[in-house]
Amino acid sequence: MTLTLLEGALLLFVLGCALGAALLRDTLASVMSFAAYSLGVSILWLILQAPDVGLTEAAVGAGIMTILLLVALANTVTPNADRLLESINPRTLVLVGGFVLVMGATVPALPAIGDPTAPVVGGEVTQYYLDNAYKQTDVKNAVTAVLAAYRGFDTLGEAVVVFAAGVAALSVLRREVFA
Amino acid sequence: MSVDDQPGLYVESTIIMTTVRVVAPFVLTFALFIMFHGADSPGGGFQGGVIAGSVVMMLAFAYGIESTRQWLDVRVVVALAAGGVLTFASIGLGTIVLGGQFLQYTEYEVFLSHASKYGIELVELGIGGIVASVAIGLFFLLAAGFGHVVDEEGEA
Repeated sequence: MTLTLLEGALLLFVLGCALGAALLRDTLASVMSFAAYSLGVSILWLILQAPDVGLTEAAVGAGIMTILLLVALANTVTPNADRLLESINPRTLVLVGGFVLVMGATVPALPAIGDPTAPVVGGEVTQYYLDNAYKQTDVKNAVTAVLAAYRGFDTLGEAVVVFAAGVAALSVLRREVFA
Repeated sequence: MSVDDQPGLYVESTIIMTTVRVVAPFVLTFALFIMFHGADSPGGGFQGGVIAGSVVMMLAFAYGIESTRQWLDVRVVVALAAGGVLTFASIGLGTIVLGGQFLQYTEYEVFLSHASKYGIELVELGIGGIVASVAIGLFFLLAAGFGHVVDEEGEA
């Protein structure tokens, strides 16, 4: 696997920001690190030619999540950070390290990016969507066709989950209006 | 004490107010573009809704959370969320009424040519409404703080 300079730099940036979000002791710094991580990941999605996912990551992960976390921070008392980094529990380190190793071990099994022989490219389902999406649904973006037409029932579920999140937040905070 | 009087949440700044006044219409237009144009280019209801929601957050940062909340009226937010779910569900169930399957847009073809395209646009708009209003609602909820919970008698 070869990485271009841009991809390598982005991966390093994302990894650094993720570590920062996990390890920084100051919550504000942690939130900012998390936002930067999301922005980096969204650019990575764009490079991997998944603009729909990238747009979502940029808008939700880097945008709304950061604002909501900042507003929540402003409403809570944050103790002054006495040192820069969180202390690491050895057991947590072993557990997380083991998880990363197991996940990392599956990476070589994935097909290379843009590999024409990858199962998903020649797959029956993919080919069906690519051949018929425009004819059957009248929309040019195959992602939207799958999302709103072929898998529309799932999307209704997703939309209701978002709606339910709003209702749940209201009931948890014991409010009757969004105020 | 209103939200805006709390230290750290709102700082009145001419620079932020002017910037937001100039930028907000463009961001809202971009959000609607993402929502409407999601059928033919990357984007859709989820992304466009979040961007539309962020316009309200921008306004709140510039002009104060409490005054933005009063200007917007929370009933609009709730109506958008519920209306979005109802729009999506009724478009889906309408095709069953006409004898097709759930969300089989071609059933609407008798009333409207390119029914599939317009049906998908409407569904995306519904999703956008849900996402935008829930994002705005969560923002207002979190900004209001967790201190003054309404008790059993309904008094704050």
